[in-house]
Amino acid sequence: MSKLSLVKDGPQAHVASTTWSARLGRQGYHQLEYFFAQLNFYYFWEKRWFIIAIAVGFFLLNIPTPDGLTREGMIILTMSIMATILFVTEPIPLPTVALLIIVGQVILLGLESNEVARSLMTDSVLFIMGSLMLAVALIHQKLDQRIAWLIVRMTGTKTANICFGISVVSGILASFVGEHTVAAMMLPVGITLITLTSTDRKKVRNLAAVILFSISYGCSVAGIGTPSGGARNAIMIGYWKEFFYDPANPETHRFLIDYVKWMAYAYPMFLIQLPLVTWVLLSTFKPEYHNLTRPVAKLRKQVELLGPMSISNYIAILLFLLVIFGWIFFSSLIGMGIIAILGAAAFLVAGQVQWEDINSGVNWGVVLLYGAAISLGVQMKDTGAAEWVAENFIFILSTIGVETGLGLWAAISLLTTFVTNTMSNGAAVAVLGPITLNMATVANESPILIGFITSISSAFAYLTVVGTPASTIVYAAGYLTPKDFLKAGWRMVIVSTILMMLVAKFYWPYVGV
Amino acid sequence: MKTTSKKSIVARNKELDEQVKRRQNRFRVLVCINGEDASYEGVKIAAKLCENEVSDIILLYVRRIDQGLNAGGLQVRVARRNLLEWGLELPGIKYLRRGFEMLLDMKFLGDDWEEHISHTDVFGDPLGDNKVEYRGKNGRRIVLKLKTAPDISSGILHQHELGPYNMIFMGPHIQWTTNWRSMFIPNTVQKIASLAPASVMTVRGTCQGNGFLLSTDGSPRSIQAKKRGAIVAHVLGEPVSILGTADDDSDLANLENSVDKLCKDLKKDGLKTGDCKVVVGDPVRATIEAGNSYSAIVVSDRQTTRFNRFFKGSIAFDIMHLSTTSVLNVR
Repeated sequence: MSKLSLVKDGPQAHVASTTWSARLGRQGYHQLEYFFAQLNFYYFWEKRWFIIAIAVGFFLLNIPTPDGLTREGMIILTMSIMATILFVTEPIPLPTVALLIIVGQVILLGLESNEVARSLMTDSVLFIMGSLMLAVALIHQKLDQRIAWLIVRMTGTKTANICFGISVVSGILASFVGEHTVAAMMLPVGITLITLTSTDRKKVRNLAAVILFSISYGCSVAGIGTPSGGARNAIMIGYWKEFFYDPANPETHRFLIDYVKWMAYAYPMFLIQLPLVTWVLLSTFKPEYHNLTRPVAKLRKQVELLGPMSISNYIAILLFLLVIFGWIFFSSLIGMGIIAILGAAAFLVAGQVQWEDINSGVNWGVVLLYGAAISLGVQMKDTGAAEWVAENFIFILSTIGVETGLGLWAAISLLTTFVTNTMSNGAAVAVLGPITLNMATVANESPILIGFITSISSAFAYLTVVGTPASTIVYAAGYLTPKDFLKAGWRMVIVSTILMMLVAKFYWPYVGV
Repeated sequence: MKTTSKKSIVARNKELDEQVKRRQNRFRVLVCINGEDASYEGVKIAAKLCENEVSDIILLYVRRIDQGLNAGGLQVRVARRNLLEWGLELPGIKYLRRGFEMLLDMKFLGDDWEEHISHTDVFGDPLGDNKVEYRGKNGRRIVLKLKTAPDISSGILHQHELGPYNMIFMGPHIQWTTNWRSMFIPNTVQKIASLAPASVMTVRGTCQGNGFLLSTDGSPRSIQAKKRGAIVAHVLGEPVSILGTADDDSDLANLENSVDKLCKDLKKDGLKTGDCKVVVGDPVRATIEAGNSYSAIVVSDRQTTRFNRFFKGSIAFDIMHLSTTSVLNVR
């Protein structure tokens, strides 16, 4: 019989020697010892991408400025490259990138601090801020169970129909209020249907994928439908106005894209995509259950327990409809951002949501980040950096004969799709917008068409978890793996790209793009 | 004021030192849970390993801090709270609860235990670290830890710092890369295996029934580590076999002596032993070829420092990567 003990003879816990540190502590060197203990290699390893970004920036600022690019243009281009590295790899808290962009514009570019501060708050930024506050307010209303019940009442209990219903309802809502709002509201609906079917994850692996992707992709394809569907749309509208609109020149008034105009261009594409989402998902993941009678019955019971809709619910719906009404009819007069903020204020005044809920639900750092990214985009244009990059990109494309027309559209779409899959779609448009719009000018293409291609392609972030807010939110439920996104995503990218090309070629000229 | 502060730091450090000493008398296992089956196999093995010891099993789930941009500026916790209000459990809580229920079913805490809940703010995330500790009257403890960190491996390594731990259990990860590439392409298991100072076990299967293979190069460090690994096998009721590996014939005689001595020592200590043999050739290939038919392979690092392990890698890493059975890397 062995006398060995696991504690004494088995694998030992690693403990740093206390003898030295205790003695040094007594001698007053303990703090120094502690300081050195913090200087470990792992810190630098964790911050490696920040160090790489700094090194890249230092290198670029110390090489000769290329022909055709001003020194200011080189600085702003360097800052953009560094910001892109930091957006994608996230080695430091993202709002820090915004702070560094602001500091960089003043110190490196020599701009007035007041000028930089002014450039941070545009109508696009107000819209992003307002729509995030509205998102929290809407989620707070607990209308999700009633929406879920509405879906299953329309679709019946067949899995395919329910998934289509989820995509349609998620999509229509997301086209107006932003995909993050709808994804957060619909996620419990999806999870409830899955868990009521089976608590064994293996038995509902494909069903979970189909239901959750119906929410996520339904929201993603809808985000292009209206300007309020996503930050990227508001950013692009801001860029068109900033880059091309001249109040003294009536010719440039077409660059003021209002809510209805955007919908006329983009909404049909969203509606065509909806059935394609369900088709792609059902052909990629074969659900284990073709009928969800049991979970639907349980869901019905849950909704019945809620009782009839309260006055508060009706007020919330009324306010929501008024905000959409305001966007459609008054955004060209007072701006989308003002209406979004007014809507948020109305929810607060009506007592539908508390400020504390909004304060804790909105990531204000992201608002600052969008402000800084847009400000950087405007500087890209003002310093000529965007034009220089655009000219060079067009030159490279001309070597393979795709510098204009469909070839150029496809190249821009491909570039945007790649970038948007590595970072948030709003950030992708903020970074790429100034370049692609300048490419339109250089290639003698319509900036509105190229702007739409950039903005819509930024919604093709189906391949990764971080691509769209809806994907990030449904992934948090723990049912999907990154491989699932690749499995369904590449099909969605192909379908959406082909559809957008067809719309750009045949539909947009018809409506006057 | 300054003096008081210094005194309080010293007092706190003293308290921590005492806590570490107390914990050194217990067998402490950190099981990293990610919801996959392999992580629950780790729970079962940990429970079996600790069933006759004064021990702690810490079940850890690490949640990445949401930077906000990916969710479009809406805090993901708004969505999570909505899930909770629907009566649905969040993934981390669900996974930890499943592990805890498995341990309760195995009577790890006996019939009587107490619950202690605590919360620590970390990394500026309001979610912070949440800990539920269950103390059994039999002296054993289960800790459920829901942790937030910038990335999964940082969270596990940070938890290790709060240890100490005798062993870390993890599920396998198929996408191992070169050590240089792993700097840029994150791989949690590889990072933990290279950076954690505790013994790490990558769990594939049940680790039961086919014995453990101790792979050694004959060095005193390796022999010492294999003895400790053999204890793990012994506690799990598994026989141990020994495989000495040498790159060439030059030091074969010494290796044979070391393997022979290890075999005799283990027999003398009352451990069940199987084959004891020596092969010449690529150690990784030889160990994997022989070891895949065992319940687990026991290896140890040649490179002793974290820095060396990180940059140079080791035979142990290659075996952890390529093996199709569980691998215990003893430190």
